[in-house]
Amino acid sequence: MPFLKWFIETIDAINDWVGGFLSYFLFAFFVLLFIEVILRYFFNSPTVWANELAQMLFGTYAILGGGYILLTGGHVNVDILYSRYSVKTRAAIDIFTSLLFFLFCGMLLIYGGSLAWESLARFEHSQSAWNPPLYPAKLMIPLAAALLILQGITKLIRDILILLGREDSDRPEPEKGESL
Amino acid sequence: MSIELLSLLFFGALFIFLLLGLPLSFVLGGVSMIFLYFTWGPESFYMVAAQTWGAMNKFTLVAIPLFIFMAMILERSGVAKDLYEMMYLWFGPVAGGLAIGTVVICAIFSAMCGISGAAVVSMGTIALPSMLQRRYDKELALGCINSGGGWGILIPPSVIMILYALISGESVGALFAGGVFPGLMLLVLVSCYIGVRCYFQPHLGPALPKEERGNWPRKLAAMKAVILPVIIVLMVLGSIIGGITTPTEAAATGVLGAIVSAVVYRQFSWNLMKEAALRTLRLTGMIMWILFGAYCFSAAYNGMGAHQLIENMMQHIPGGAWGSIIFIQIIIFLLAMVLDPAGIMMICVPVFLPIVKAHGFDPLWFGILFVINMEIGYMTPPFGFNLFYLKGIVPPGITMGDIYRSVIPYTIVESSGLALVMIFPQIAVWLPQKLF
Repeated sequence: MPFLKWFIETIDAINDWVGGFLSYFLFAFFVLLFIEVILRYFFNSPTVWANELAQMLFGTYAILGGGYILLTGGHVNVDILYSRYSVKTRAAIDIFTSLLFFLFCGMLLIYGGSLAWESLARFEHSQSAWNPPLYPAKLMIPLAAALLILQGITKLIRDILILLGREDSDRPEPEKGESL
Repeated sequence: MSIELLSLLFFGALFIFLLLGLPLSFVLGGVSMIFLYFTWGPESFYMVAAQTWGAMNKFTLVAIPLFIFMAMILERSGVAKDLYEMMYLWFGPVAGGLAIGTVVICAIFSAMCGISGAAVVSMGTIALPSMLQRRYDKELALGCINSGGGWGILIPPSVIMILYALISGESVGALFAGGVFPGLMLLVLVSCYIGVRCYFQPHLGPALPKEERGNWPRKLAAMKAVILPVIIVLMVLGSIIGGITTPTEAAATGVLGAIVSAVVYRQFSWNLMKEAALRTLRLTGMIMWILFGAYCFSAAYNGMGAHQLIENMMQHIPGGAWGSIIFIQIIIFLLAMVLDPAGIMMICVPVFLPIVKAHGFDPLWFGILFVINMEIGYMTPPFGFNLFYLKGIVPPGITMGDIYRSVIPYTIVESSGLALVMIFPQIAVWLPQKLF
């Protein structure tokens, strides 16, 4: 069991750190876009890179956040029936539905990986005026899928332990996610 | 396998996994993967990865975290407190005035924020205790916050409209302009309801006693509360509608406005920034992952030929074109009872928009109807988000039952607003036609 405990804690810590790190990207979007507006409107000299860089960072921000959001229970679900079940029943249901989760993330890992690999193999650039390399951003798809799968595995382990009665189900319930 | 059976299995599987509590994004992605495998084969998975990449590269979407962040800062900035102070002095002497003032503030908030939660939380913590203390009826008070709080997605800017623009191909600016008059109309309708009801039943919203009313100097001094909000609204909406910036860049100037107001009201702190940034990541990522799942969903849905089936089925709905529109609104309303607005939008638009277009309706007008309907969904049980936000902050004496009951009259008023926009499309489409 020490290994499982170590594994769960490590993955949780990684995704928690990734989430904290990504949250700062917001200030980068803000600064980049704001600079662009100022330069274009007041100095009449728009940049070629600010908007494209913000867009690339946003892609990374959105997709890499997946694992962190799973950790914090932020992925929205329909809990009209689900919330009425006992902790053990929920664990059993989650073990069953995780099949679908792993299917989706697995495919994203494999096919997103091949998409990124092709891009890397020919050092693909965006062909815009700024022309940055695209493969670093494309590599984020398999990386995000991997982070999500790892987080999914820790959830699966927890659910199995709860079902076997090996872990007290006193883990605090993740708070209900927010909406728009 | 026949297309009917296949579609039935597809929607059935979506429904069952949703009810089993798996998050929406993974249900959409996973179920679609299975059906894609059996219709187009595994090659289609590559296309899904390519579409995920496409979704990561939409410049318009960068506006979403910025608008969300802006709302999170404004929610804590103290702008609402001063606005309420002003409304209290100006509207307080009228029966029901504090409730009318509250919905006016909700509308001002909606013109600054692109989401609905901020107004509900601000007004729930500031206006609600004040109204209850002055012996306002609790259902009247709760209901006005519930209904006004939802306008955030209708009155521009609006994150939901950005998503609609992305899926339907309409322009963000035109949609924003389309939301202005329907939003103002709802404000007028709800204010009239409160005003008329309190005129005949003054005990529901008693006018302030003489000694609590402000004098003219105080009233005029309180007007300064609107200065910052007006500047923010002009900066954000003015620059989009005036064609100076893209909606995304306008969102960045809005963030600046929100931070400035936090500084002016002495609420600025790094902790506030950090916490708001984390909440923004959670909300943005949640929406984006639904979008990734929704791309799989539309690929599978179109790949199976289910769109043909749905279009054929819709022809059997009585009432022709209008029958279909009303039927679609009912479906959306029912979905809004169990599902998140962003998710509903991403499932329903690919399914219903082709039908709406085939009947010759304006997609922009349909978008506005959709948003008004979502906004009613926010305040109707069991899943209305506003209800939960409100439950989180109300004083102990108020139960969920009180909150549920409070929305009934307001839902009726807002549904008539929806009907008005259906009957008179000009309310929505006049301004965008004039501007764009």
